[in-house]
Amino acid sequence: MAKLTHSDLIILLLAISTMLILSRIVAELGKRYKLPVVMGELLVGIILGPTILGTLYRPAYDYLFPLTTNDHVSLALDGIFSLSVIMLLFVAGLEVQLPLVLRQGKTAIITGLSSMIIPFATGFAIAWFLPGLFGEQPESVNRLVFALFLGTALSISALPVIARILMDMNLFKTNIGMVIIASAMFNDLVGWLIFSVILSMSGTAQEGHLSIWATIFWILGFGVFMLLIGRRIINRILPWVQTKLSWPGGVLALCLGTCLLCAAFTESIRIHAILGAFIAGIAFGDSVHLREQAREIIHQFVTNFFAPLFFVSIGLKVNFVENFDVVIVSIVMVLAFVGKVVGASAGAYWGGMSRNNALAVGFGLNARGAMEIILGTLALQAGLITQPVFVALVIMALVTSLTSGPLMRRFVEL
Amino acid sequence: MDLSKLKGRASYPFETIGVAIAFSPRLEALLGEAKRLADECGANLLLFHIGDRTRTKESRLDDLFRKTGINEQTTRVIWQEGEPVATLLQLCKLNIVDLLILGAMQRENVLQYYLGSLARRISRKAKCSVLLLTAPDAKGTRFKKIVVNGAENPKTVHTIQTAIYFAEKVKGRDITVATEIHQPGLAMTMAGDSTVTETTKIKKEMKEEEMNKSHSIVESCIVDSRIEITEKLITGKPGFAIRQFAETKKADLLVINSPDVKYGIIDRLFTHDMEYILEDLPCNVLIVHSRVNS
Repeated sequence: MAKLTHSDLIILLLAISTMLILSRIVAELGKRYKLPVVMGELLVGIILGPTILGTLYRPAYDYLFPLTTNDHVSLALDGIFSLSVIMLLFVAGLEVQLPLVLRQGKTAIITGLSSMIIPFATGFAIAWFLPGLFGEQPESVNRLVFALFLGTALSISALPVIARILMDMNLFKTNIGMVIIASAMFNDLVGWLIFSVILSMSGTAQEGHLSIWATIFWILGFGVFMLLIGRRIINRILPWVQTKLSWPGGVLALCLGTCLLCAAFTESIRIHAILGAFIAGIAFGDSVHLREQAREIIHQFVTNFFAPLFFVSIGLKVNFVENFDVVIVSIVMVLAFVGKVVGASAGAYWGGMSRNNALAVGFGLNARGAMEIILGTLALQAGLITQPVFVALVIMALVTSLTSGPLMRRFVEL
Repeated sequence: MDLSKLKGRASYPFETIGVAIAFSPRLEALLGEAKRLADECGANLLLFHIGDRTRTKESRLDDLFRKTGINEQTTRVIWQEGEPVATLLQLCKLNIVDLLILGAMQRENVLQYYLGSLARRISRKAKCSVLLLTAPDAKGTRFKKIVVNGAENPKTVHTIQTAIYFAEKVKGRDITVATEIHQPGLAMTMAGDSTVTETTKIKKEMKEEEMNKSHSIVESCIVDSRIEITEKLITGKPGFAIRQFAETKKADLLVINSPDVKYGIIDRLFTHDMEYILEDLPCNVLIVHSRVNS
């Protein structure tokens, strides 16, 4: 059995502590300027990674993050980063509440649909008809898969960023706020389901991938099972666990254990582990028995431990300067803004909102934040996209998150 | 069908009370309840039976009229065949029924719930107020403790006013207006970059805001009532939180708004709002149809 040596363990612990401490310091500094935490975490990755530290003082980078020179440490870090993304998808699922979408009625459903279909169609069409705009694509990726991915990447929204913006603007509990939240939940749900299909189609993510129909069958089957039967079982078990077992140990073990079990299951049937975690999150998050305090503990744990590790790791793997392509960045940016703002605004307008409020919904849903970055990272790992496209997606995610609030403020009327 | 009298009609007083009757063992109790409520509200009583009209049924009804003291001369019985839910809803509209009384099981088995029993299906669709009685009593149920949902909705004012009217008529003792507070995404929003002080402050502000809104609604409803009215803020998912609250409080009646949208099977699969209550009735339930949007 391969083991970490004494020095490997020291390097691993140093790497993790450096990522955690620095990302917290930068996040706290960024908070003063109302910058999203994920931005600080990415920045730390860029500073510690090949972009800055690797260029200015290579030995320090190689010692602290020996991703290419020390297999043991590299494997251990890869395990931690994989666990991080699984946990991030679990908490993303925890906040997707389908009943809220139903509750918000026609406006939310039309907005949710329109804010997915139009950006998806825009991204798909451009990638399908003009693939050359995005530079040379890997040989392993066919045009259809890339086009499907770009469509999905442009149609997703970032619920955490949007929720924060709405809270800062005191719009959280308003009709417009609830429509945005419900639509973002819908976008997340559909987006991650489609992305799971795309990952399976790529065939590079796993050995021996399934056929498209088998993938769709398993994804829908698993989703329906978890959301109808699994949810009922959880609703039966949770009250007992929360009252009879140690608090919060019992509920944490149940939630996280089930999350990993579902992730293992979807990975074993050749669909990415993230789908299992995401669906498990929805099943738990929807339970009326999950105490708010338990929800908070899970969020705190994941957001403050796993999220920094994951987002810092992005900067460790990609050189943002070398892979910055102004043309690709501009195209992705224009597509992102046009597709999402037009799609979401049109949906909200058709759903009965005033023109200005519909535009506010459009700019609100335009924030991509951490979700886009996770999606891009997984696509990069699966060989679906090149590093320049990934860098463009990260920049787009940050720009849309930063501009969402101010642009919303210009249009919203209560 | 002339529905002009129905449009914009106030949710109270209850001038016409309808009762859906089936010849089950609970019929006597249901008629007893209907008789008492009609007397207390000074309302006309209408009995609807969706099914064939037979001599046996007629004689049983006559017998029950005598037992419960229902006046045969002033009480109309309408016999009609057809699909039960649609026919009953149509009859309620035609006869401008203000309150429809139905007997309902407290909880149904899973299949029955998803397919939709008569009482539940009518509750979701009715264009008049509906009273679901879980344990009708021939002598009449006492509605002492009443819980009203104070949800932020234009209908709530009418619902609270109807609850006060009803409580006055049936000699209720107290009304608790319970407002549910639920903020999806709050835990996630506060997890990354908020201090304890900020989190506590935001939560406190949210609660205060809800309390103020609820208080102003209640204030606007109270007009010289002898009923003791209290306000309560409860946390949890809408529908489920108030169901639990009514159970814990051992309420005799839970009063809620009629649904804003048409509920279908998808709303039962992904339960929300009123569906949590219909899934497992915590006590008798009055669904007030305020006809605000009619």
